[in-house]
Amino acid sequence: MDPQLTEVSQLFERFKAAFVRKDFDTCTNFLSQLKVLLTKFVSLPPLFENTPNAVNELLLAGEIYEHAVVLSVKIEDQDAFERDFFQLKPYYTDVGSRLPLSQQEYLILGLNLLRLLVQNRIAEFHTELELLSATALENPCIKHAVELEQSFMEGAYNRVLGARQTAPHETYVYFTDLLAKTVRDEIAGCSEKAYNYLAINDARQMLLFSSDQELFEYCKEVSVQVTSIISIKCEFFFKGFGKQRLFRLVPNDCRSILSRR
Amino acid sequence: MPAAAATMVSSAGGLLAMLNESHPQLKYHALSNLISFVDQFWPEISTSVPIIESLYEDEEFGQQQRQLAALLVSKVFYYLGELNDSLSYALGAGPLFDVSEDSDYVHTLLSKAIDEYVSLRSKAAESSDEAAKVDSMLEAIVERMLDKCIMDEKYQQAMGIAIECRRLDKLEEAITRSDNVHGTLAYCINASHSFVYRREYRQDVLRLLVKVYGKLPSPDYLSICQCLMFLYEPEGVANILEKLLRSENKEDALYAFQIAFDLVENEHQAFLLNVRDCLSAPKSLPSESVQPGSSSPAHAQNENSTAPEDVQMTNGSSAIHEADPKEVMYAERLTKIKGILSGEASIQLTLQFLFSCNKSDLLILKTIKQSLEMRNSVCHSATIYANAIMHAGTTVDTFLRDNLDWLSRATNWAKFSATAGLGVIHRGHLQQGRSLMAPYLPQGGAGGGSPYSEGGALYALGLIHANHGEGIKQFLRDSLSGTNVEVIQHGACLGLGLAALGTADEDIYDDIKSVLYTDSAVAGEAAGIGMGLLMVGTATEKASEMLAYAHETQHEKIIRGLALGIALTVYGREEEADTLIEQMTRDQDPILRYGGMYALALAYRGTANNKAIRQLLHFAVSDVSDDVRRTAVLALGFVLYSEPEQTPRIVSLLSESYNPHVRYGAALAVGISCAGTGLSKAISLLEPLTSDVVDFVRQGALIAMAMVMVQINEACDSRVGTFRRQLEKIILDKHEDTMSKMGAILAAGILDAGGRNVTIRLLSKTKHDKVTAVVGLAVFSQFWYWYPLIYFVSLSFSTTAFMGLNYDLKVPKFELLSHAKPSLFEYPKPTTAPTTTSAVKLPTAVLSTSAKAKARAKKEAEQKANAEKSTGPESSSAAANTGKGKSSSEKDGEAMQVDNPPEKKSEPEPSFEMLTNPARVVPAQEKFIKFLEDSRYVPVKSAPSGFVLLGDLCPNEPEVLSLTDSPTSASSPAGGSAAGQQSSSSAMAVDDEPQPPQAFEYTS
Repeated sequence: MDPQLTEVSQLFERFKAAFVRKDFDTCTNFLSQLKVLLTKFVSLPPLFENTPNAVNELLLAGEIYEHAVVLSVKIEDQDAFERDFFQLKPYYTDVGSRLPLSQQEYLILGLNLLRLLVQNRIAEFHTELELLSATALENPCIKHAVELEQSFMEGAYNRVLGARQTAPHETYVYFTDLLAKTVRDEIAGCSEKAYNYLAINDARQMLLFSSDQELFEYCKEVSVQVTSIISIKCEFFFKGFGKQRLFRLVPNDCRSILSRR
Repeated sequence: MPAAAATMVSSAGGLLAMLNESHPQLKYHALSNLISFVDQFWPEISTSVPIIESLYEDEEFGQQQRQLAALLVSKVFYYLGELNDSLSYALGAGPLFDVSEDSDYVHTLLSKAIDEYVSLRSKAAESSDEAAKVDSMLEAIVERMLDKCIMDEKYQQAMGIAIECRRLDKLEEAITRSDNVHGTLAYCINASHSFVYRREYRQDVLRLLVKVYGKLPSPDYLSICQCLMFLYEPEGVANILEKLLRSENKEDALYAFQIAFDLVENEHQAFLLNVRDCLSAPKSLPSESVQPGSSSPAHAQNENSTAPEDVQMTNGSSAIHEADPKEVMYAERLTKIKGILSGEASIQLTLQFLFSCNKSDLLILKTIKQSLEMRNSVCHSATIYANAIMHAGTTVDTFLRDNLDWLSRATNWAKFSATAGLGVIHRGHLQQGRSLMAPYLPQGGAGGGSPYSEGGALYALGLIHANHGEGIKQFLRDSLSGTNVEVIQHGACLGLGLAALGTADEDIYDDIKSVLYTDSAVAGEAAGIGMGLLMVGTATEKASEMLAYAHETQHEKIIRGLALGIALTVYGREEEADTLIEQMTRDQDPILRYGGMYALALAYRGTANNKAIRQLLHFAVSDVSDDVRRTAVLALGFVLYSEPEQTPRIVSLLSESYNPHVRYGAALAVGISCAGTGLSKAISLLEPLTSDVVDFVRQGALIAMAMVMVQINEACDSRVGTFRRQLEKIILDKHEDTMSKMGAILAAGILDAGGRNVTIRLLSKTKHDKVTAVVGLAVFSQFWYWYPLIYFVSLSFSTTAFMGLNYDLKVPKFELLSHAKPSLFEYPKPTTAPTTTSAVKLPTAVLSTSAKAKARAKKEAEQKANAEKSTGPESSSAAANTGKGKSSSEKDGEAMQVDNPPEKKSEPEPSFEMLTNPARVVPAQEKFIKFLEDSRYVPVKSAPSGFVLLGDLCPNEPEVLSLTDSPTSASSPAGGSAAGQQSSSSAMAVDDEPQPPQAFEYTS
């Protein structure tokens, strides 16, 4: 066996050990070294040179990047996820025909779809979706993401929020949580356009919060530049989501006053 | 795994993602891979350009990595079409940017880089700042490119770039390393003339070329001498000529003669005189025997009856001295070359040619004369002008002699110009010029003659000796100082200016200046012009003196004369003249601004300099004075004459101006720059102007049209025929305005100028400007104010002939092939006589039908002659040929028409024609001329026209000469007799016309 390949696989074993131990700092460290080592293999993307060990090397590299993607979810680093996923992608799209199907493939593709949904990059979501085969669409992981997107688009936000329970893999939880926030952002964005003012009760219901406190915290969170909720003549104002327009939340009993104006 | 080879990446996303990795090695890996995929994935990469840019700017990143990033960004920008950004990053990529790579990217960026470098370099040179501003990276790239061109033996490219970049070091390298140094040098000379706009820099280039030429084992002396002439280095030329003349080899001597003829063609009198004076005298000969050679014109004047000098010289020297044969040979050759350099040889040969081949059509003049109203003096003198122009240089004054009564109606200034017209007709008749004019010249205070004819005679002498006035200048000076009649002064100033054109002779200048300071309007105007002519192209400080006087004087005429004179002094000086031009164009006085336009025109003559064109166009539309606007447009013609195709395009809008002056200017601009080209676009532009609503626009357009169409016949462009008929109609129309009538008469003259054997040419064959011709046209365009200046147009005429000369500078029998239908370039058919007395009937109606028949008949005759020529034994046919040629040409084909009508519809026209030396070769015909390979004579240089020295392959056989010295030698007794006849009232000096040449056997 090629000494380089041996070196990489040994390092990868140590990485996996650390991964199981959930020692993520060590993992990141190892991963960086692994990536550098991988650059020396000419059989890998983008060169794809036909060396005797090509299949072994491709398999190993693919596995390393798959772990890297999962690791990035574990450490909740979306940028790293994107980076690693793009580096992994050629292994699925370009050499997929030469390699046995990876166990992780659909899981990771699903994760990526979910990530796009979370980041609200719907166009890219659909581009990715179009690239998938019919069999892939049957896979529960992919199906999960597609269903979520449908609910999201329909506006069936309660279903989206309930998706946490139906997640096909533990790594999905991270994204479903994030998705809930995306949903709220979406709702808030619509409300901002739709309403001149909104009663706190209604707002809470609409944004699917259980208490007013949560609502106020959310308000603070999404509009970082917004100072606070100001009380002027029993009206609540806050700036909506980084836009300049004022969106007013008013206490329930003030509604009549305002509607009379 | 065969499929593996086909595996390709489908996206650069992975690599782009890798750029964001923290490890530098990963980034490097990504970069180097991206570079190889950029051609395919640049759209994807373009979104990540900011990241790559930041990598390039990252100080912590390794040098090579940063350059790699720069190269990548550069390529992406290239694909995005942002060439400026692309170039700046490519420069950042340093050595990674590979000039030898054969890709669109590299090609595009290289040309961009070179453009950039060129503009920086020329900006640096023009603002005379340090060239340090040029990016060293950019310079490195261009240098790498140049080196590569030289390595790849693409010398022309290398030279072109080197010239543009002002890298003379590289230019020299390219030339010396090329395999065909002569070819590259010739290319380089051509390039430097057509593409180098700044005069100083062009001189630098030429100086370098001369240096390179000098190093060659077998230098191309023709080209060197042309360069040296441009650089004004007479000593260099003289040295080369002397070397060649001293050579044992006859070929070398022929070569020297050829060089001399080529130099003469550029008409740079002062330079030629300098060269002549620099030639050293033969060692063993006493100096007096050389003397006659160096002062030959004067000498010739005194001894009218002498045989051609070279003969005399050889006889004299060999008889007296038993000296070193080498020196004798050198002396003999020296005399010849001095004869050539002084212009005498070429002038004499031209004169003979024009005389013997004169094809002018007296009937046209007769028609004009008859159709004119008696009292209209403008048209009367216009006819005299037209006659002079038509017969310019042919010495044929039949028309004048036949119509003495009519001629005598010319009074005052008309008399002046009538007399001066003789000068045009006898132009170049150096030996007998003075005796011809003797009856009219001032008689040393004896009075009697009219001052007008005396002044005119002095002007005529100037015209005869234009640019070759060594012998006559003293006489003109004496005449000038011996009179205080302003008309005579006027003629003398013009004559002196012409004779001493461009010699910058201080004494003459002072003489003329004293006339100027008499502040007489008539004399002062001529003095201004005369001073300018004297100082042509010297950029002398005297210009400011003249300018000062122009501010001082009250007379508009003087101001105008001076303004033109000042303009003449800056002839060809390009940027050097800018201060003066600025001064003149900013002046309050419109006449001086008008002079400024001429200064612009002459300083930038034939350069097509963009700056000058822009300035002129600006004045053409913005000046308040019509005169200035008209001149500004007209001046465009001078700036653009080297690229005649451009002019119609540039002035086309102006020719539709509401202002008639601008339209007039546009017409003349086209006429000047497209003169003699017959350019279709030019004719189309002028055509509507010839029927303009304003009379003087019609006048200008007619004249311009004639200038464009000179020597073009109907077979080439049918519009020539239309135009001829139009002229006739205007002349015959009683109700036509005088102005346009005059234009039509002049146009008729120009159209058939010089016996139909000359064209208007402002560039010599080596693409140098012909000083005399340009100056002539510039002064000619002044006829708007002063009709006698019309005669200046004769300076711009150049004979269209091929003249092969042997070692004795005689014209041997020699044939050459014109590979085109003869009808394309033949003489226009002579007009047929209208039914004798009634001038009202249009002869054109007869023409159109009979012309074809006649043409056919004529061709027939020619064919026959050709056939005979080729079949008949050489020796016997020689005499017969000349006789035949004479009969067919001189009898106007009328006889033929009677003889040959039955043969009308036979045989198609032959596709070629044999021409006999000396042959008429019109400019358009030049490209069809071929030399026969099995001929006895071999041309020294294969030029299709002009003077060409012929090497004789069988020097021991007797030579057959086809054009002999007969016109001059035969007319020399006539000159002598003229002195006796001068008291006779008719006083047209040469009553005995020189006989047409007789062929004879010449035994050496």
